[in-house]
Amino acid sequence: MDGTTLLPAVVVVPLLGAVLTPIVGRTRARMAGLWALAVACLTAAVGTALVALVALRGPFSYEMGAWAPPWGIELRMDEFGASIAVIGFLEVLTMLFAIKYVEKLLLPVRIPYFYTLMLLNAAGMIGFAVSGDLFNMFVFLEILSLSGYALVAIAGERIAEMAAFKYLALGAVSSLFVLLSVGLLYAVTGTLNIADVAKRLTGTGYALPVAVALAGLVLGFSVKAALFPLHAWLPDAHTIAPSPVSAVLSGLVVKVGVLGTLRVLQIYYAARPQQLPVLNGMLAWLGAISIVMGAFFAIFQEDIKMMLAYSTISNIGYIFMGIGLGSTYGLIGATVHIFNHALIKVTLFLAAGAIIYRTGCRNLTDLRGVGRVMPWTSAVMTVGALSIVGIPPTAGFLCKWYIALGAVQADKLMFAVAVLFGALFILIYYIRMVNAFYFREPTRPEVATATEAPLSMVGPLVVLAAGCLLMGVLGRIPLSFVEPAVLRMLGQ
Amino acid sequence: MIRALWANIDYVASVVLFLIGLYAVIAKNNLIKKFMGINIMETAVFALIISVGTVRHGSPPIMGAGARAPFINPLPQALILTGIVVAVSTTALALSLIIRIYRQCGTIEADELRRLE
Repeated sequence: MDGTTLLPAVVVVPLLGAVLTPIVGRTRARMAGLWALAVACLTAAVGTALVALVALRGPFSYEMGAWAPPWGIELRMDEFGASIAVIGFLEVLTMLFAIKYVEKLLLPVRIPYFYTLMLLNAAGMIGFAVSGDLFNMFVFLEILSLSGYALVAIAGERIAEMAAFKYLALGAVSSLFVLLSVGLLYAVTGTLNIADVAKRLTGTGYALPVAVALAGLVLGFSVKAALFPLHAWLPDAHTIAPSPVSAVLSGLVVKVGVLGTLRVLQIYYAARPQQLPVLNGMLAWLGAISIVMGAFFAIFQEDIKMMLAYSTISNIGYIFMGIGLGSTYGLIGATVHIFNHALIKVTLFLAAGAIIYRTGCRNLTDLRGVGRVMPWTSAVMTVGALSIVGIPPTAGFLCKWYIALGAVQADKLMFAVAVLFGALFILIYYIRMVNAFYFREPTRPEVATATEAPLSMVGPLVVLAAGCLLMGVLGRIPLSFVEPAVLRMLGQ
Repeated sequence: MIRALWANIDYVASVVLFLIGLYAVIAKNNLIKKFMGINIMETAVFALIISVGTVRHGSPPIMGAGARAPFINPLPQALILTGIVVAVSTTALALSLIIRIYRQCGTIEADELRRLE
């Protein structure tokens, strides 16, 4: 059997699993959780095998129904598509964490639907990452977005429906910008296959529609990624959602927007590089503003999940700045930061979830002294905090260092300064958190009497924290893994 | 300029419709009206993509006796069929969210909801 036949399986497994979840969990809700965990494990295994294949013999593709592209739908696996292994791995840990968490939070009848939505969301992300066809990409984008909107509202806490509606309205508008641009590209080139579009754009005239399509695609995807000033939906949605959902939304779903932007740039670097300098300049500036604004707002938040949500905006800024710089180092740093930030942010949101699960508190003042009663969770939170600041032996350091190098390489020192300032701001707010956890007396009785989270939560947390440290030590591997993709994209 | 616009009146109409929808999303206060704006934008995009594949005096591309060129491109229509499914599910989700907002807050006017937060 050829390894490429695994490529449709990585999408089909979570899709099929999602559909079957309500049946499996019909009588006992816990079965749904275990089933979802098993499906996620299988998906992660297939994803890892595919990434190993890419590492061994470079990008490859699969033709759906044996119709050759550009007529048939192509699934394409390249180095950027390696995010499917990261998605699979993080989904496994999130599902394991979620089993206990949702049993406390949701009504038993809703639990199977929670897992259905989580698996659909994962299937959407994985499908998006491996799609080689513009319209197919849009369909997967909608699958993951719709399940995301529903997941935000699922717990029905306080203003959950409002937050979900705001997310849905902005998300739907951004999807329409993407679809409109896909339509324009189809009108100009007569094809939807990404590689083929790039080839045919080179020759054609039609400078205006092609430029409008670029603007529409990047606009649509940067709403999904919550780049400043299009981030308004993110803080509420990511704060209100149940913690495992926040982890997935913040760590993975916003990255789909970034991945989409990278795919668009792949087309345009190959076909119309002359249209890119203006866009790149804008992305770099908006990224720099995102870094500073996100970090600045995070400092004033009392709610830990709100703080983490603003920190996501700040980190998305790093990624977009790296992309916008347009230099090799910047792009490599940005690409690796997509993966590393996913790992770190899932760690932080799940640790925050464990704390909320045990204490019921989410404000920093209420959580004083939690480090004494929940030592493991707090230690994980600290490791995550150090990684996201970018202290050298952790996962956050190398990619931020590369983005700063990228700024130097592109001869734009201003942006290197923004990287440093961002890290400084981020340090301030995470120091506030660590200070409250470890060095203050508990003020609330719930916190003083809380115990360490159950093993099914601490287990994934420790694995994630170990991942954060390991990615710092072995940071060279992902950097050299994405390097050929970046060099190919820049045409060097 | 005007002649070029007239020749592409179908595209122009789609773009105008798209902007009308966008205006409704931004300016309307009622959540249902906001969402109707999104529905208008969807219709505009669908119309644009369908019109891309249309040929004047074209016939459906069904082979057999009486098949006569030029043919209409069937791919955009297949795409939009999928697009409509997506749009319907988005609408269903949005309306159910609006119902729950109304049950909880007693209003679906955006400014009153903001005050309630």
